[in-house]
Amino acid sequence: MAHHFLFTLPKKAVKNYELLEHTADIGIRVKASDLAGLFKSAGLAITDISAEKLKTQYPEKHKIVIDQKADNVEELFFNWLNELLSAGAAEGLIFEDIQINQINENFIDAIAIGSDIRNYKVNTEIKAATYHQLKVQKTDLLWQAEVIFDV
Amino acid sequence: MSEGKMPDNIPLEKIDDFRWRIPRSYKPGMRVDGLIYADEKLLKDIRQDKALEQVANVAFLPGIVKASMAMPDIHWGYGFPIGGVAATDPEKGGVVSPGGVGFDINCGVRLVKTNFQYDDIKSKLKELVYALFSDVPCGVGSKGDIRVTSKEEKQILTKGSKWAVEQGFGTQEDLECTEEYGAIPDADPDAVSERAYERGRAQAGTLGSGNHFLEVQVIDQLYGREECDSLGLDLGQVVVMIHSGSRGFGYQICDDYVRTMMPCLKKYGINVPDRQLVCAPVNSPEAQQYLGAMRCAANYAWNNRQCLMHLTRKAFEKIFGMSWQKMGMSLIYDVAHNIAKLEKYEIDGKEKTLCVHRKGATRAFGPGHPALPQKYKKIGQPVIIPGDMGRNSYLLVGTKKAEETFYSACHGAGRLKSRTAAARSINSDMLLKELESKGIIVKASGRATVAEEAPQAYKDVNDVVDVVHNAGISKRVCRMRPVGVIKG
Repeated sequence: MAHHFLFTLPKKAVKNYELLEHTADIGIRVKASDLAGLFKSAGLAITDISAEKLKTQYPEKHKIVIDQKADNVEELFFNWLNELLSAGAAEGLIFEDIQINQINENFIDAIAIGSDIRNYKVNTEIKAATYHQLKVQKTDLLWQAEVIFDV
Repeated sequence: MSEGKMPDNIPLEKIDDFRWRIPRSYKPGMRVDGLIYADEKLLKDIRQDKALEQVANVAFLPGIVKASMAMPDIHWGYGFPIGGVAATDPEKGGVVSPGGVGFDINCGVRLVKTNFQYDDIKSKLKELVYALFSDVPCGVGSKGDIRVTSKEEKQILTKGSKWAVEQGFGTQEDLECTEEYGAIPDADPDAVSERAYERGRAQAGTLGSGNHFLEVQVIDQLYGREECDSLGLDLGQVVVMIHSGSRGFGYQICDDYVRTMMPCLKKYGINVPDRQLVCAPVNSPEAQQYLGAMRCAANYAWNNRQCLMHLTRKAFEKIFGMSWQKMGMSLIYDVAHNIAKLEKYEIDGKEKTLCVHRKGATRAFGPGHPALPQKYKKIGQPVIIPGDMGRNSYLLVGTKKAEETFYSACHGAGRLKSRTAAARSINSDMLLKELESKGIIVKASGRATVAEEAPQAYKDVNDVVDVVHNAGISKRVCRMRPVGVIKG
């Protein structure tokens, strides 16, 4: 479900991911101290990979509620990224921030805050996240995820 | 980074100069051998990524028949390799896998003829390229000028290209020159999610981005005189190639069904080594739903390319001031290279209906095949192979021998360098200048696309086509070189 209303956000530089080499597609690795940080960084990586901000002509921000359930954390991660891609494409939005209200390994309730796609130059179209070599793991100190996007 | 760039150690047995086997014994769980169509030169590149491992993984699919096959343009994909072919037998628990079709369902190519020789258009080429770039919507998330309502979108899903023809965007003859006559039967609009409808509505009649393109090309080499005469093609003649797919509509259907099929692995006791190979028995309700939705996306894509061709014809009319019919802009053929189809084959002396997955592979029916229109019964189905924007593309025809690959051939040059590596090492301004000095005018909506799609990022399509021709699974007809390129 989409809720639209107006508010402003502080500008942030996000680079909480690294690129993995893949012949045809684009892979990323994300690390974070908790699940919320992991999901947020991966979600914002989509924006960083695909779009470049131009002048803001359409200042209105749009909030999209994203709730996902899954049997395990990897499926949840897959569903989360694809829901962001799908909702962004359907609504014509580029997500600039993400607020995670509640998360565990089987459930996420979040709000993605998007800006009109016309404020951006979109360089790379990410079609979807794939299960190929998908990994979401917890080490002693960190959560780490790897995912390959079909581009 | 080293990931994916480690040369593999997969055992390969040489069958002949163009065929290599990954023995079933390589991995427990493989139901059939892997069969790679390549020569020694291409194999060196193929071994640089994980494509061969993926060929072995596809051999795990329940009901797979003969072999898990790979075309010479094979490269590392997700789940299936790009350039993979797998046929399964539904009577033996054979499955369909959405990952074996991919997100861009019915990504494919069409080739349009003109009566022009290169010299006729040379002085107007720049104008033509700019007109095509402005009149054919392209780029990420591009929205079309051809607006469709929800009701019309639903019609497109079952009518395919016929919808466009009914709107006046083409002719009956165009439909005859399209795989499945532009509409595969048994499309089920009820199996399509609301989100897919939403994503598809605005994008009808748009080219898209990435490796999708529209090119003005010139025939620079003839191979099959008989086929060229039959198709009305000659040296120096101008043709137009369109490469596009089902856009966000198809991505959403693949995404929806990868999710809904995940529980099927457990439900039907299927063991695959990569979750992106998620699948369900063809005869199960889950698979039937997927196939119904996938066919909607296939029809959406055929209609899309029909609309794109219409916009192309209009742009030509604007620049040259005459009707497209007078310019001889008839469709040679339109063929899919990401699709799953139910096709009949003789296996061990018995006729079987198999589910053939072509993931980056082109259908290549030989002469006399019952599915071909009368005009191609004698020469075989046109097989259109796009190359990169600096070198060549090809037109081939299918052969009877292609039955060994379930009538499949390669689908392009195949990537060699990753997009990130290409973008790092290639300066797009210099590349554009270099192409211009070769007589190639490029208009792209994204600067990054130019570097990512640079010729250096691809294998040489000439090498790839040599293999399918020499292996006898398709026959070279003519070669084209690009002179005008429109990229999303």
